[in-house]
Amino acid sequence: MQALLAFENAPPFAAPLRFFLTAPLFAVLAGLLVAVVGPDIFASRWTPDGLAATHLITLGFMLQIMLGALIQILPVVAGANLARPLGVAVVVNIGLSGGVLLLAGGFHFGWPAVLTAAALLLGLTILLYLAVTLRALSGVPSTSPTIRGLKLALGGLAVVVSLGMLLALGLANGWRLPLVALTDLHAAWGLGGWAGVLLAAMAYVVVPMFQLTAGYPARPSWLFPPLMCSALLLWSLAVLVDWPWLVRFSQLGVASAGLVFAVLTLRLQLKRRRARADATSRYWQLGLAASILALLMLSTAAIFPALAELPGWPLVFGILLVLGGFLSFIIGMLYKIVPFLAWLHLQSATQSKMPAPTMNKILGEPAMQRQMKAYVLALLLLVAAAFRPDWLARPAGLAFAIAAGWLWWNLFSAIRRYRWHSADIAEKLAAKLAAV
Amino acid sequence: MTSIRTFMTDDHRRCDDLFAETELAIAQKNPDAARAAFGHFRSAILAHFDSEEKTLFPTFEAKMGSSLGPTQVMRMEHAQMRSLLDEAVGALESGNADDYFGLAETLLIMMQQHNMKEENILYPMCDEHLSGELPAILERLETELAES
Repeated sequence: MQALLAFENAPPFAAPLRFFLTAPLFAVLAGLLVAVVGPDIFASRWTPDGLAATHLITLGFMLQIMLGALIQILPVVAGANLARPLGVAVVVNIGLSGGVLLLAGGFHFGWPAVLTAAALLLGLTILLYLAVTLRALSGVPSTSPTIRGLKLALGGLAVVVSLGMLLALGLANGWRLPLVALTDLHAAWGLGGWAGVLLAAMAYVVVPMFQLTAGYPARPSWLFPPLMCSALLLWSLAVLVDWPWLVRFSQLGVASAGLVFAVLTLRLQLKRRRARADATSRYWQLGLAASILALLMLSTAAIFPALAELPGWPLVFGILLVLGGFLSFIIGMLYKIVPFLAWLHLQSATQSKMPAPTMNKILGEPAMQRQMKAYVLALLLLVAAAFRPDWLARPAGLAFAIAAGWLWWNLFSAIRRYRWHSADIAEKLAAKLAAV
Repeated sequence: MTSIRTFMTDDHRRCDDLFAETELAIAQKNPDAARAAFGHFRSAILAHFDSEEKTLFPTFEAKMGSSLGPTQVMRMEHAQMRSLLDEAVGALESGNADDYFGLAETLLIMMQQHNMKEENILYPMCDEHLSGELPAILERLETELAES
């Protein structure tokens, strides 16, 4: 109980930071891959380089940040303290980064042995992470929709990783698998059951907190995670018994659950009490608009499957949901979390003997706003490139690499300023002590 | 009957509203209104801290037989927020909007995560352990907050 409230029990800053600082580099890599490979990468959703780029983003960027942020957040929202958070962070960060590089390399060069190695390394890493977090969460009752959502999301992570390993090992060893159906299911669990449910669980806490909105209404927030997971279980069953109509029905369920959550969040934010639109709230609006578009595409395609065969359709859907939706939410949250954690650690370092520099001295609003403009431009170029890859694939990839690199630079500068202020505070404290 | 959790949570929301009013006044470039709104916000939140430190926490501590538990952490966070409030007043007085926004942003997140801990953990504990004294405590809290 007391452990939950005390700052002393918070994980060290270095634990989440190492994830936050490595993740944007993988997004840069994904952008560069698109720029180098060019138009061919947009040929279909099945090109090896397309798969490599997708996993550089979903595993290299999204999963890194989600796992790192959870290490920080589990003690605060669920009272679940991880044993040795720093050690876990180091091992998971290295395992994940190595695994993603192997996976992307395996796809790009078409080397089965490397794909196998990637599947095993990623599987082991996530297994370790799940073991540590589930141990911390064991005995924590689900007293809030956030805690319930976190537990279900971790279950979703277990499923998406198992399916991913099956697919990678199947590809590497030439197993006879229904690749298309399993890949769709793998993506659905990854984006819906893991990322989507986790996003909702976090949104229940951070949307009211950062933007001073009213709280999420209780009933939909309790219902969203189990509904999403039930729709996905139904989808899995449908793939197992090979009933395409049930796949489409579950797809519609997933899309509707997502839409309800997104529209609810948008409504809360439109009625927020804060006058100022900062980078975080603008990133949320961008993310919500893009996700709503993507989820509308998903539900129309569930009703009219022929639409998904249109050229560009799957790519635009993926770009809107992953890069427009999830990445925008994540970047928006990073822009609050990193400066706040820096302030919190500086504040504790001052031992209340002097004021700590505030959040905007660690990371200023103009830097975030400029990066966001670059990100929006990259996003528009990528969507356009799905229709005119011959003209736009390379510029879009390059623009995305620049926007992601800019994010890295912003975060890195914030940490540099944090380090500088830490040293400054230590020096001033020492001087004060010497003067006594 | 009202619980401590509901009553004190409502007061948190009232403070949030006053905070938002200050931001709105600044956005509308009305420094006088901003100073006035911030004054209201500051006295509301200070009254909230005071009523917790003078009435709620001591009663809870007496019941639990220790003053070293969660209430101690809450007191420390109150101190951090009081100094942010003082700095923000300084920034508003000198008309430095940028400094004020930095302080306000930090204060807001500090305040929200503090409130989250109180609303989800401490107040429910108070409701559970102080059920016998509930009417008396609520009445005292109500009087103290009404005076602000």
